[in-house]
Amino acid sequence: MLPRCLSLPGSPPGLNEEVNSSLSKPSKHRSAEAKERRFGAALASPALVAIFAVVLIPLANALILSFQQRDLARPETDAFVGLGNFIRLATDARFLNSLRATTFFSVTSILIEIPLAIAIAIVLTKAFKGRGLARALIILPWALPAVVAASMWKWIYNADFGVLNALLQQFGLIDEYRVWLADPGWAMGLIIFSNVWKETPLTVLLVMGSLMAIPNVLYEAAHIDGATAWQRFRHVTFPLILPILIVAGLLQLIWGFQTFEIPQIITGGGPQSATELASLRIYTQTFRSLRFGLGSAMAYSVAVLLLVPAVVYIRKAHKSIVEM
Amino acid sequence: MSVLHGYDHHGYSTDQVLANTRRIYHNDGQAQNAHQKEETNLSVQAPTRVRSAAVWRIGLVAIALILVSAACGSSGETTSTTTGDGGTDTTQAVSEEITVIFPAHEADMGTAFEARINQFQQETGIKVNLIQSDWDSVADKVVPEMATEGSAYDVVEFDNGWVAEWCGAGWATPLNDYMADGYTDGMIPGLVDLFTCPDGSITGLVWNNDTRFFFYNEAKLTEAGFDNPPQDWAEFVEQSQAAVDAGVVEAGLAPFWNQEWSLGNEFHFWTYAFGGEIVDDQSCIVAQDDPNTLEGLQYMIDALASGVADPAGLTFDQAAAQDVFLSGRTLFMPQGIPGVAAFAEDDTLSSIQGEVAIGTVPSGAPSLTLPEGFAIPASSNHKDAAWEFIEYMTSEDSNRFLAEQIGMLPIWVDLYTDADLVALYPEWNAFSEQLGSVRGLSTLTWYGDLVDISTAEIHEALGGGQSAQEALDAIAAGLEEFNCVP
Repeated sequence: MLPRCLSLPGSPPGLNEEVNSSLSKPSKHRSAEAKERRFGAALASPALVAIFAVVLIPLANALILSFQQRDLARPETDAFVGLGNFIRLATDARFLNSLRATTFFSVTSILIEIPLAIAIAIVLTKAFKGRGLARALIILPWALPAVVAASMWKWIYNADFGVLNALLQQFGLIDEYRVWLADPGWAMGLIIFSNVWKETPLTVLLVMGSLMAIPNVLYEAAHIDGATAWQRFRHVTFPLILPILIVAGLLQLIWGFQTFEIPQIITGGGPQSATELASLRIYTQTFRSLRFGLGSAMAYSVAVLLLVPAVVYIRKAHKSIVEM
Repeated sequence: MSVLHGYDHHGYSTDQVLANTRRIYHNDGQAQNAHQKEETNLSVQAPTRVRSAAVWRIGLVAIALILVSAACGSSGETTSTTTGDGGTDTTQAVSEEITVIFPAHEADMGTAFEARINQFQQETGIKVNLIQSDWDSVADKVVPEMATEGSAYDVVEFDNGWVAEWCGAGWATPLNDYMADGYTDGMIPGLVDLFTCPDGSITGLVWNNDTRFFFYNEAKLTEAGFDNPPQDWAEFVEQSQAAVDAGVVEAGLAPFWNQEWSLGNEFHFWTYAFGGEIVDDQSCIVAQDDPNTLEGLQYMIDALASGVADPAGLTFDQAAAQDVFLSGRTLFMPQGIPGVAAFAEDDTLSSIQGEVAIGTVPSGAPSLTLPEGFAIPASSNHKDAAWEFIEYMTSEDSNRFLAEQIGMLPIWVDLYTDADLVALYPEWNAFSEQLGSVRGLSTLTWYGDLVDISTAEIHEALGGGQSAQEALDAIAAGLEEFNCVP
């Protein structure tokens, strides 16, 4: 039966019956629907198989491993230890150091990326000659493979041949070349700088999209009310881009904890383990010391830490979709 | 979204349904002719037809891909090799394929190994998928693969630091069954023994006789006012400081003390240099109680603080340290690879042609020998072909070729007295004195853990974060679970 909303007022007699006869044939439609669902499932099945095989099974396997002592170099010591690995990690100075370093790395990166991205995005939404080229170039750091970017920065920071020392000396900021990466504080600062350089473009894109969605009338109204540029930013722009900033910040926090190439290539975790992020520590324990049980426990510990921001992000993203 | 703009079960929007319906009936309420009705029916059926067409297209593409991949995977493939004059010579049909992984040797600035492997392919018809990278990257690939009994590789890098671990775990295939009787008789016995497990099985054959030597810049040493290289470590400091003060060099040495695997090698060298020990014969950790070991580590710390060692060395790997020496900015390279002698004369690599000489490690201390071998994983599916590769690459002919091309130290004893090679490398005479006093790394099943913990603690001490004794104590504490474990 054709829904009332689809009935045409004043339609010729028999119209509804005609349409009903062509559109509402229950068994035929159910059969067509079922066929379509099966077809959809068939198309989606390769992706589901891939997700199951590549994501779910390894996740489950890693969880099982985290409750075991699995040392591939010494299989005679394998045993079920329950929460033993997690308890051990709670007092593992090196692992705790890596968590501290990673938290500092991620949070500091975000605190620099967000304001920088806002500033760049605002500039790129203004009309100026070459804006298109600028917008294209801004994405390059993010598009560059992480390994390439890290190798490039490693050479820039090189104590003897690096561009950083050359430039600083040229500008009179230093008298002689310095070994930046040999100092724990500077080494951390420099890998944060490299990370900010790499990741800011994505945040710029997100903020730009948000800025473009702000109706111009709001700015006009604010201007009419005599608002200064800062007041327009503070009371119009910032509140409206805040949701995307929160999303970007959460994503960058999660990605910061996953960062591997930059510290691995630039510093190797040194000096004095100052830049040994959690990802490096997990990698070393798992693939060099071959302690798969302990490595899995480390990975899950980090995952639990990230659960809070991840849940916040998912709920926020879901809310945005529902509102649409 | 308005209900009026919903979708029916065919995927058509309501608007489209209404439009179709209107086409059936004109405004005067009369039915369209049959043709128009058919058009409408066809348009309603269009989604189904479009889907069917899509399925057909996908199927055709899949069939095409299968056919193309079958064609590309033809067993009629031939090896294509590069001959010495740069031409290409396709010869034998590929009989088998093996995957080989080992580090790109720092001495192989050209493509000597690749040329030799190409020759092997040409002569045997065995295709070699070669994977080369820096040592750490190769180690990160090889060790997990061996531990998980993967079969991705057929010939793998076998570092001298892994022998105890691999012997204990049974990861490598004993090569005894593949070798002819007396095959290793002409090789340097120590190198063969190093890769022999306690049960007598030979699990690796050396491809890189990586014994290190004491190099110094003779011209700059003379300029600094000294005629002979240092005989002890106090003289080493004295000469370094004098040369720096005279403006002849920037530092006595550029160490490779980055927090990475090679710092473990350096820990061993400087410990041995002062007569110390890290572990004893029972694999018990003794470093924290050995005053000589403490003296060695303290010497490293003091060298950095005094400028004898370039502070940038805290970030250097071996290649970077070598480059600094070859640029003439340092006086000594206490642990250089044999190829440094040849590189020093190459004007594309060195600024110090004719200036480099070879001495012995001060105080009569041993130099490190860090040989690398080829091994066949126990899980390899191509062991026979893998053995052919190892036999070829470790043969006396290959040794001679690599020695000629890149100055690699041979593993065959006879080659050290070969007239042509000796003429090419007169410094081998100088090497011979040091070859009488060499030591390898600690033989431990937990050597990887020793490196992991010791490099972190030592690097912290070198950076001034803790004292030498604190570092040694921390190493012992961190390795407590392995203490006295063979």
